[in-house]
Amino acid sequence: MDDGAGAGRVSAPPLVVMEGITKRFPGVLANDDVTIDLRPGEVHALIGENGAGKSTLMRVLYGLYPPNEGRITVRGQEVKIASPRDAIALGIGMVHQHFVLVDPFTVAENIILGMEGGPILDKEGSEAKVAELAASYGFVIDPAAVVEDLSVGEEQRVEILKALYRGVEILILDEPTAVLTPAEATELFENLRKLRDDGKTIVFISHKLDEVLAIADRITVLRRGAVVGETTPAETNKAKLAEMMVGRPVLFRLEKPQVEPGEVALTVDDLHGGRLHGLSLEVRRGEIVGVAGVEGNGQRELADAIMGLRTLESGRIELDGRDLHELTTEEIRNAGVAFIPEDRQDQGLVLSMTLWENAVIGRHDDPEFSGRFGLLLLKKIKGLAHRLIKEFDIRARSIEMSARTLSGGNQQKLILARELETDPALLLAAQPTRGLDVGAIEFVWSQILEQKAAGRAVLLISAELDEIYALSDRIVTLYEGRITGEYPPDAPAEEVGRGMLGGDTVKEAS
Amino acid sequence: MAAAGAALPQARRRELPEWLENFGGQVVALVGALLIAMAVGSVIIVLYGESPITVYSAILEGSIGDKAGFGYVLANAGPLIFSALAVAVCFKGGMFNIGVEGQYIVAMAVASWAALRLDFIPGPLLMIVVILFAILGGMAYASIPAILKVKTGAHEVVTTIMLNGIAASLVAFVIRGPLRYTDIGGGFNVNLRTDPFPDNAAIPDIGHFFGIRSSVRLSWVLPMALVAAGIVWFIFKRMRLGYEARAVGASPGSALAGGISIGKVQIRLFLLSGALAGLIGVQQLFADQGFLPSGYEAGIGFLGIGVAFLGQNNPAGIVFAAILWGVLARGETSLQLQTDVPREFVIILQGILILSVVVTYQVARRRLFARELRRAAEVEDLGDAAAGADIEGLAKEDR
Amino acid sequence: MLGDLGAAIALSFTYFTIIYVTGLGGLYSERSGIVNIGLEGMMIIGTVTGSAGTFYFTTELGWGLPWGPVIGILVGMTCGALFASIHALATVTFKVDQIVSGVVINLVAVGLARFLSSIFFGQATQSDSGQPHLNPIDIPGLSSFPLGLGKAFSGLSPMVIVAFLLVFPVTYSLYKTRWGLRLRSCGENPEATRSLGVRVAPMRYQGVMLSGALAGFAGAFLAVEVNLSWNEGQTQGLGFIALAALILSNWNPKRLMVAAMIFGFAQAIPYRLADAPIIRLIPPEFIRMTPYVVTIVVLAGFVGKVRPPAAAGRAYEGGSRI
Repeated sequence: MDDGAGAGRVSAPPLVVMEGITKRFPGVLANDDVTIDLRPGEVHALIGENGAGKSTLMRVLYGLYPPNEGRITVRGQEVKIASPRDAIALGIGMVHQHFVLVDPFTVAENIILGMEGGPILDKEGSEAKVAELAASYGFVIDPAAVVEDLSVGEEQRVEILKALYRGVEILILDEPTAVLTPAEATELFENLRKLRDDGKTIVFISHKLDEVLAIADRITVLRRGAVVGETTPAETNKAKLAEMMVGRPVLFRLEKPQVEPGEVALTVDDLHGGRLHGLSLEVRRGEIVGVAGVEGNGQRELADAIMGLRTLESGRIELDGRDLHELTTEEIRNAGVAFIPEDRQDQGLVLSMTLWENAVIGRHDDPEFSGRFGLLLLKKIKGLAHRLIKEFDIRARSIEMSARTLSGGNQQKLILARELETDPALLLAAQPTRGLDVGAIEFVWSQILEQKAAGRAVLLISAELDEIYALSDRIVTLYEGRITGEYPPDAPAEEVGRGMLGGDTVKEAS
Repeated sequence: MAAAGAALPQARRRELPEWLENFGGQVVALVGALLIAMAVGSVIIVLYGESPITVYSAILEGSIGDKAGFGYVLANAGPLIFSALAVAVCFKGGMFNIGVEGQYIVAMAVASWAALRLDFIPGPLLMIVVILFAILGGMAYASIPAILKVKTGAHEVVTTIMLNGIAASLVAFVIRGPLRYTDIGGGFNVNLRTDPFPDNAAIPDIGHFFGIRSSVRLSWVLPMALVAAGIVWFIFKRMRLGYEARAVGASPGSALAGGISIGKVQIRLFLLSGALAGLIGVQQLFADQGFLPSGYEAGIGFLGIGVAFLGQNNPAGIVFAAILWGVLARGETSLQLQTDVPREFVIILQGILILSVVVTYQVARRRLFARELRRAAEVEDLGDAAAGADIEGLAKEDR
Repeated sequence: MLGDLGAAIALSFTYFTIIYVTGLGGLYSERSGIVNIGLEGMMIIGTVTGSAGTFYFTTELGWGLPWGPVIGILVGMTCGALFASIHALATVTFKVDQIVSGVVINLVAVGLARFLSSIFFGQATQSDSGQPHLNPIDIPGLSSFPLGLGKAFSGLSPMVIVAFLLVFPVTYSLYKTRWGLRLRSCGENPEATRSLGVRVAPMRYQGVMLSGALAGFAGAFLAVEVNLSWNEGQTQGLGFIALAALILSNWNPKRLMVAAMIFGFAQAIPYRLADAPIIRLIPPEFIRMTPYVVTIVVLAGFVGKVRPPAAAGRAYEGGSRI
């Protein structure tokens, strides 16, 4: 928990006031009459569920969206922020969740872009300037390095330096720890504290309550586009914050059904290829194995390998004794593997297709839905779609609407419905609740637990420790393409965190 | 809670069925685009000192004014329909077949070979065989970029453009060499071409059913094209290949994870496209000229791209677009005869038309999507707002 | 025989000029993020307007040589740039698919060229006779090479020299200036560019119009200096060969020179070396195909990989994607 060093400055007059901000998109009221103020020398956390409007609000401040209503005051003057250029001129900078860096350019080129200091480029001069800036804040970065070669933590530093180079006073960070290892997150927090002590204002958008309580001076809570409260870490705790975010008391744990694990269903043995460097694990029937790890350590590759979407250099994958390695994705699915992909838009649904067309992907060539010569049996397919919508309570006007119109939660429900309908032997769920609000998260979790109760094998891959703990019977940690540790479901988080960093292998902090 | 999901909510006001609304939106977009193009064209016409009304009616008169004129329009629409269908088929699957031109001329060479060397086949059977060879020729040439794409990842836009160049040279070689005209004694051929094809390879005229003289060359090719359009429509609406193609075109990752074999779909689409491309030249060779000249009609493959987009890549739209195109093209002559505006104005008008159709269609589609999102939100009530709906991602999957 | 080789090289310098300069145009466009397959069309506009402009300034205005042809070629460049602005308008402002727009550009160019020709020359498919042109030069020193090789450097248009020298300003502008850095970032990551306050649309317009200007130059050069007249169809697909050279060179101005030289030579062979020993046995049509075949072979990965600018081909939606 943060000490009171910032407390004195919390009472300074506000630097930025956003008053009555309302922002609408087609079909969505993203911000509803929001009023918030930012003071110099503070870390101000903006929290809320996915879809609560936190990112939208800050994008309005950064000039990416014009607000429909409301006004913004900076240093006492009312301003119109029509573009990021205006925002930067006012001293407001933003680091987005998905970095916007030019891969083939160097660090220095990325930082000076747009502020080059003259029509002719000065390579040595700009690199020296960047080195100086980085050193003054204690950032470790090589200005001549090409961004493509950097680690995620380093990329984030470049993004922050971009803002600092432009002399911003207010730095907005959108879900900054989503892609960092725990060690990198700690380093980031140190840097943020330095910046705050230097008088800068940090806006920290997050849904991770533990972190927010650790770093913030003030916390503003948004729910469904409106402000529902403002508080400080001293006055609140995780449970209260969660309740403010969701509007009702939140269960952090569901009842786990007690099931005796059966025989081994999935065997993964010594996979090599891409980011995988000798990964092995086992999942039994009636058991949920949770693979914990920070993104980028081989999760995507593991899921793709099991589903046959990626070729491996070596290794074995077996389902009920059957080698999956040689099979096509279609054959793997027919063998009884269901897949909840981590990216529902790129690997799960075809957004421009209708609900019923999406409902049958993967089974469209079954004799049940497809006749001779490849004729689709529309009546049967639409019947399936109706059934799925009813059983999983998917909110949709009709099955003829395109999948694009569904909310994130309903999209995920559609994928779940479609996959679970096949009574799979193995359920492979990758980041199944990413981007979902609490209601949808609870639904997905209960569905997964039901699968376990039905005696199926479940392999859960997730970067959210809460989720791992809530569902798993066994926890394994994934680091640099290998399983680095195995833990019981009641293991303390520090231990699991160590496993996520390589377990007992001592690593130099980069 | 379950009830809300099961029963579809009552509409608060009377609304048209979804498909009709979309269709209506498309028609409005098309008409709007036509008006915009005509408006821009009018500016040019006025600069020429003519009146837009005179010019446009001159164009229409040449094409719709009399039976023969419209007959020409229909006769030329056939090859254009095949060409546009060939482009649309690949486009639906997320690929750009710019090589329709090359596939079509290679198919013409292959069909010419069949007509000349297989002339021992009796009666109308020769015609059928020749058409088959045209189809196979197109498919074979189209398989090259398809296999290159699937096996090596070579981008089809570039490979097909290159193959067009190769095809032109190949066909020129064939006309100058193996299939050259045999009956000219020594000395120079001013117009290089093949021998004339046997009579039983010719495709019969249907114009006479409608009182259109046979020099207009309105043949069975047009009905063939209409049937082809119907087949393509059916494939994309009701058949597995069409469904898989659309999935691959819109979201290859999701298609792949769903077990669809992207490579197989892409090759099949290119083969289908090549088959359609192969039929482009059939009108010219077997209903019109009767031989393959070195000055064959080049460019129909590229025109097909224009017509495909004019028709928004769907079969019904393509048929209308091909006819509209023909009306404009046919109007060139009467334009020249009756006004001071040079005939080249028409091609500029055609270009503007394509661009304005594509733009207005995009605008219309965005409006429709925005409306769809709004409607969807009504059902969700409050919460669970379509925040997951990626508004800017609308453009991503547009096919 | 070596004299023939010399003559072939001279002709390939000429083709090099056309292919290289057009390719450079494509380079600027693609680097800014807009795919431009309409280079052929832009070249065509350059041919007709360059020829007409030269006639006008040389004879009608009486400026004579060398200014007439020089201004005429500049006219070709300007008209090429103006014509290209249609492609820019369609793809950048209206976000039309870049391939479709390129195809339409090519289609319209043919008709527009006829249109303009009938205005300038009173006939739709060719220019007046007696096209004014620059006096060809011999490169001092090199043109006196023995054994007939000196022919390679004689009778060249001064514009060939200009083309060779272009590599310097192009490389400098792209890699050493602020403008070049911003242009390239538009092509690699327009979101990053926009988020730093640099507007992407104007830069893309500049990239596309530059490509029109350069393709227009190449076309004007072809009409005024090479064919000594404007004829319909004289571009003969050179715009697409330039595209091939561009891809082969991995969008690099220096490598583009090499590719353009090789393809230029391939174009020249059927004209100047048709009787040479092995070449005599190959039908000329097959020799003409070589640039296309080579490009496909390379693309298929048989000889190394190509990497276009990351965001080329995608319309940039304008800022709220981040």
